[in-house]
Amino acid sequence: MSPRIGADILLDILRQEKVEAIFGYPGANTLPVHDRIQATAIRHYLMRHEQAAAHAADGYARASGKVGVCLATSGPGATNLVTGIATAFMDSIPLVALTAQVNTNLLGRDAFQETDIIGITLPITKHSFQVRDVQRMADTLREAFDLARGGRPGPVLVDLPRDILAAPAGGDAAPCRPETRPAPPAPDASSLETVARLLNRSERPVILIGGGAKLSGACEELEALVAKARIPFATTMMGLGAVASGNGYNLGFIGTHGHELANRIIHQADFILAVGARFSDRSTSKTEEFAPLATIAQIDIDPTSIGKNLKADCSILGDIRDVLRGLLPRVERGEASGWMERIEAERAALRQGRKDPGDGPAGAFIRQVQSALPPQAIAVADVGLNQIWTLRNWQPRTPRSILTSGGMGTMGFSLPAAVGAQIARPDHAVVAITGDGGCYMNIQELATIGYYRLPVKIVVINNGHLGMIRQLQDLLFDGRLNTIALGGHVDLTAVARGFGIPSARTDLEGDTAEGLDRLRRSEGPFLLEAVIDPERYVYPLIPPGRSNMEMIYDRTA
Amino acid sequence: METPPEIHEEQILSILVRNRPGVLSRVAGILGRLGYNIASLCVAETADPAVSRITLTSRADRDFTDKIRKHLDKLVDCIEVADYTGTSFLRRELMLLHVTFREEERAEILRAIELCQGRILLLTEGICLIEAAGDPEHLGGILACFRPFGIRAVNRTGTIALPRRPS
Repeated sequence: MSPRIGADILLDILRQEKVEAIFGYPGANTLPVHDRIQATAIRHYLMRHEQAAAHAADGYARASGKVGVCLATSGPGATNLVTGIATAFMDSIPLVALTAQVNTNLLGRDAFQETDIIGITLPITKHSFQVRDVQRMADTLREAFDLARGGRPGPVLVDLPRDILAAPAGGDAAPCRPETRPAPPAPDASSLETVARLLNRSERPVILIGGGAKLSGACEELEALVAKARIPFATTMMGLGAVASGNGYNLGFIGTHGHELANRIIHQADFILAVGARFSDRSTSKTEEFAPLATIAQIDIDPTSIGKNLKADCSILGDIRDVLRGLLPRVERGEASGWMERIEAERAALRQGRKDPGDGPAGAFIRQVQSALPPQAIAVADVGLNQIWTLRNWQPRTPRSILTSGGMGTMGFSLPAAVGAQIARPDHAVVAITGDGGCYMNIQELATIGYYRLPVKIVVINNGHLGMIRQLQDLLFDGRLNTIALGGHVDLTAVARGFGIPSARTDLEGDTAEGLDRLRRSEGPFLLEAVIDPERYVYPLIPPGRSNMEMIYDRTA
Repeated sequence: METPPEIHEEQILSILVRNRPGVLSRVAGILGRLGYNIASLCVAETADPAVSRITLTSRADRDFTDKIRKHLDKLVDCIEVADYTGTSFLRRELMLLHVTFREEERAEILRAIELCQGRILLLTEGICLIEAAGDPEHLGGILACFRPFGIRAVNRTGTIALPRRPS
């Protein structure tokens, strides 16, 4: 056996961190790692693009709650990770991005495939390291994992010069040391009292659930809070699925493309308990008109998220699960004061007054796709109309069963993220739901899916256009449609077959039963191309610059 | 109508960080991303060479220190952040300046240097390199004092500060 080198230490630590799969792409500078990885139990998935490797690691983390790991070479390999790292950063997804680097003696000399990836990723990582001494390899990597999953999770980058990866390293990496990062602060008792008192006294309370609640694993506590206090809840886009959606207290999700009921009710609330939500612009629309009557209490583990976009009247800093456990015994609410009745009346009025609350044939199709798949299926949305149709119509039964690029809105996310999700959850059905635009953006991953025979289902809603931008041009630019036609000339079913993936086409303006049936019966990967009229848009929505109370149902509204 | 820009008081933060490559760009990056302009920045090792102190001043709104502080606290290499704004502390700054003068002003400029407790580092025909130290108000006074002669170049170190008593 060849003598141990830095790359062996790296692989030791990955094993200690219980990493089972990594997503990568080799290059000259990664070779010391790629040479040794075959001899370990870690499975290396060769993606067809480094961006896809980052998204796959992200999808793996979103579906499993574990830290996702991607590996790329220096220079272009590293820069190709950037969009994936930024996507994970915006949604607080724990990721360790490993980049090879040129030899230390070449650093700063414009060597072949050298780039300052630490500098490039500074604003989109929680932290980053460059290992310049093989003796520091083990500790640095452990710290990277601790940081990625600790506190508010996020991506951490470790840059690994080739000579350090190849440097002789004595012995095994030291055994796993206990976590050294300070635990998150215990929730402060007086803040708990204050928030509980405000909640107990409120007449029209709403819980607003953000992605942080899912990241903290606080969904059971949230269910308990809703059940005990009998308070309606809305979510942000990232909070979807945190509490089983069949619950009668569910208002839907708020914001630009959210549910009108959620937007209208949160506007009338006198108290909002925000749980792991930062009140992003897509959720609040016009901030000065957002929930004008409400006292806002915010729970978050990240002090910079509190009051970031909206002033919080009170807050509790800490792990959401701990905070909710502290809050639960303090919550005592009497009989509801007609608030739920008011909500039900609002719900009925909306149902009656609107032409099409179900997103037309696209919405119906998403619901049919879900029924065609087993109950624990995981949906991975792309970005655009397909995303909104999916998020508004897929009923998540568990917190990690709907994955979407929320903060960054990264087109091309769904295919590679579905690869990661499928590898994280081989026992679950995984479906990537994308548009034609998003599909093209990482279409090379069909090769990965075909090569590994991953049973990922791919649904491409094909309108031949960049539909959401088309809608905006229609709405805001007097219908002047420019630069958004992708064309109907591509036969995606043939493309899929070319990548070794069986496929079918269906027309959403007609009968979709046969296509859905083939999707249902497929055992391995399958691509269903679903053609739709490009005039089908997402409504209702909030036009830019308007408040959450001003959802429109067509362009004339 | 555009509202006139608010005049803000100077905010001052003293930050202890691990003395590692790239730490300063992380600190400066936070200010840049949040849209704050740095008025002065001073970095040097402390008595412990593994730890550096960054003294940072900015003329910004009152949210500045609170916001920046929370972000700094999240930096892995940040050990401690102290906000001196509105507390009792001492501050010093060193300044070098080139001042031009005419031969008939020689006596006058020498008196001015003496009055403001400056030091002459170089004195050649028509030009004088002066060193001055003090708090920012004092340095501002010095600049005003030499402006009539002609200031050719100024280099200020930026503010350093410590509280009157160690915490």
